[in-house]
Amino acid sequence: MLNKAQGLRILQKGLLTGADYAEIFIEDKTSQNIVIENGKVETSSINRTFGAGVRLLKGYQSVYGFTNEVNEKSITKLIESLSKSFHEKQCVFLDNLTKKTAKTLSKSEIPFDTVSDQEVINYLKSGEEILSRFDKRIVRTNASLSHQHSNIQIINSKGFIILDEKERGRCALSCVAAEGGKIETGFEGPGASAGFEFFLKNVDIKEVANRVAHNAIMMLEAKECPSGKMPVIIGNGFGGTLFHEACGHPLEASAVSKGLSVFANKIGQQIASPVVSAIDDGTIPNGWGSNNVDDEGNPTQKTLLIENGILKNYLIDDFNGRRMGLTGNGACRRQSYRFEPTSRMSNTFICNGKSTPEEIIKATKFGLYAQSLAGGSVNPVTGEFNFGCSVAYIVRDGKICEPVRGASIIGTGQDVLMKIDMVGNDLARAQGMCGAASGYCPVDVGQPTIRVSEMTVGGNGGEIK
Amino acid sequence: MKLNEQKFFELAKENKFESADLYLKRNYSLSTSIFHGEVDSMTEHDTHTITARGIINGKFGSATTEAIDKDAPNFLINSIKRTAGVIENDDPSIIFKGSEKYHKKSVFNKNVLSGNIQEKVGILLEIERKLKNYDKRINEVVTVGYEESLSEEKLSNSYGLKLNSKIADYSYFAEITAKQGDEVRTGFKIFASIDPNEFNVDKFVEECAKDALDKLGSIQCPSKKYPVVLTPECASTLLRHLLSSVDAEEVQKHTSLFEGKLNQQIASKKLTVIEDPLRKNLFFRYFDDEGVATNKKAIIKNGVLKTYLYTLQTAQIAGVEPTGNGYRAGSKASADTAFLAVKPGRKSKNELFSEIKEGVLITELQGLHSGMNSQSGNFSLPCGGFMIRDGKIAEPVALITVADNLVNMFSNIKGLSKETELVIRTTTECPYIYISKMSISGK
Repeated sequence: MLNKAQGLRILQKGLLTGADYAEIFIEDKTSQNIVIENGKVETSSINRTFGAGVRLLKGYQSVYGFTNEVNEKSITKLIESLSKSFHEKQCVFLDNLTKKTAKTLSKSEIPFDTVSDQEVINYLKSGEEILSRFDKRIVRTNASLSHQHSNIQIINSKGFIILDEKERGRCALSCVAAEGGKIETGFEGPGASAGFEFFLKNVDIKEVANRVAHNAIMMLEAKECPSGKMPVIIGNGFGGTLFHEACGHPLEASAVSKGLSVFANKIGQQIASPVVSAIDDGTIPNGWGSNNVDDEGNPTQKTLLIENGILKNYLIDDFNGRRMGLTGNGACRRQSYRFEPTSRMSNTFICNGKSTPEEIIKATKFGLYAQSLAGGSVNPVTGEFNFGCSVAYIVRDGKICEPVRGASIIGTGQDVLMKIDMVGNDLARAQGMCGAASGYCPVDVGQPTIRVSEMTVGGNGGEIK
Repeated sequence: MKLNEQKFFELAKENKFESADLYLKRNYSLSTSIFHGEVDSMTEHDTHTITARGIINGKFGSATTEAIDKDAPNFLINSIKRTAGVIENDDPSIIFKGSEKYHKKSVFNKNVLSGNIQEKVGILLEIERKLKNYDKRINEVVTVGYEESLSEEKLSNSYGLKLNSKIADYSYFAEITAKQGDEVRTGFKIFASIDPNEFNVDKFVEECAKDALDKLGSIQCPSKKYPVVLTPECASTLLRHLLSSVDAEEVQKHTSLFEGKLNQQIASKKLTVIEDPLRKNLFFRYFDDEGVATNKKAIIKNGVLKTYLYTLQTAQIAGVEPTGNGYRAGSKASADTAFLAVKPGRKSKNELFSEIKEGVLITELQGLHSGMNSQSGNFSLPCGGFMIRDGKIAEPVALITVADNLVNMFSNIKGLSKETELVIRTTTECPYIYISKMSISGK
């Protein structure tokens, strides 16, 4: 980390050629993971990520550099090289820096550095045992826990040195089930911005293991999903991937500011059915996608994105905000110092509606119930998205019937948001890693059970009968 | 910035490590992109990462650091001790003494590292201008970018093995949108090479522009089974997933589609896949991440599986020689391949199309991280492309999915084109591949 005088000297050099903003982001992160495979500790490693990212902005132009030689000499050399991109008179003058420590939103009661490796191993094994004993068709099991502790220093020409400290942990349980040439997998990965207490108190690892094993075996026995257009009920929690892909990404300023999003210039307009309200909230205590401050040092926020179908806000970082005439709303993120930060989601979810999940199933004559999704992707320009279903059933005459495997769902965000016709009251969030321009960031997706009146379902099971 | 390697190996000895190794990686890169006639981003970086491993009581410990200071050897040694201490797996842990022969060649061309970013910005502006003028339906040039990079690797171990490599490459990329009525389509193109003279602006512009323009007017085709032709990009993407079952670890853990299938027919006789890490191109490497020499070899020959891909560990378990396919993933190596070449056929791609009365040419595959189950081989993927009607490319299709099983699909190859393309993303030189039938779902 740099001291005040060093930070000031470096930023002053960076501002000499006309940059209107200069920033140094220093990250020192230590992470550890332990992986148990088929009942035995298979691998463990400790990684230290340490480096500095330097950003200079001028109008709509940004230059970025990074190094892991974190000292005044190297960072000065880098910022001088970057500043050669600009050739104008100095316009921002900086003569002092004020220290600020980010307010802690997520406290760790049992920080991981006080937990022995054996405690973690015992915890994982209690789940792994359930996986391997569940059914003899489960041929491979995996249980892992990774955690990381970071110290961040952000020094910028707004005149601040911001210090932040955070801890995250995530465990993952997965298994492979095989029979007669068919292979299916089960997976769950709960995590939080918290210490080991989150796993001891909030994650019943045995129950998670039971679900993971049950789903893999059930999918092994399932028929291939039929294809065609049909109503789709999407389960709560990880079902929120739909909203994340179809709506969340196109609301990020990185796409909106250049007019490259289907939702650009649509604030105040109806973009979803009136039963839909949605929020991005980076301030949820201990949330997996939460942060004390974002990666340009702004406090994270709770942002109402959609209210009763009307678009209310975008997710904005300061730089992209310039093209939009708006300032950042705490949504600027990056995987590490190796990435130039940009607007990203944190914990994003559709709010509770009025229906019970049972009412939604009951109201559906024929359709697909996608209880859990396996991840997806979106083209923000066209709004076209796709995702796979990890657990899915056919619904007939208001009842959940046979499970089906290999289902994928495609559509466009604009279309599907308008076609959400029922929203449940069972909101839940689930943890994932979201990949985009500024790398992989931990995010929560979430929603109650919802129904989309019609979507294109792809599968290998022929046409609907 | 330099690690005191001698100190690391001395400490390893003091701490009774049976053996230890160090893998140093340096990446330098300079990149820039433009938007609306102006530079909108420029990035420069130079980073060093060290991964160290050690064997204690037959168990591997591992640590990585980017903080390369005087405390680094101690941090690495202590982390290795801690991580090795928890390992329960009885699989063999091996640090390699070295191969008999290494086919070292120099592919490093210092002229790739121009250091003159202003000249490159000029080329980017020319590309942007030419893209805008190519067709009035091109309504936005989203980004045009350039990157040059240097990558250096150094491997050393307590047996005295020292290997190093260095490669410089550069790439251009562009993304555009084309609009017709309310319909918007995106086009993307990337070019990468180690030869500074290989880049051709006009060819690049044309391919990028056509990628978006040709998709305008896309419709959904009716759901049914069609003959399908896959572009080199799409064919090599699916091939890469098929080859995940050639990993010896998957075989040993009973999750490979090809367990017990060595020297047996696993695909159409028309399919031959060669791994050629020694070809002088972007993907050249003469040793793998574990220090094993790489060699040219057939993985699939005339549809017969010729070898599994081994790391040091899986080779020892199977009692065979390692194949130079060890790639680092944390403390453990897993098998992967370097440059692949799929043997082309005799007919041109147009001759392949001419055999099809009604079919689909797939030019784009999406959703691979969710719609592909490499372990079962089943996939259902959103895709786009063109109808083939009466032997000719007809209207574009979008918002459709293609579903099949990898083994089934590669057994149903009806032909391969004589034209091949080097696909950067899959590190594969691949022809167009014609599959007799695949399930397409659309309207």
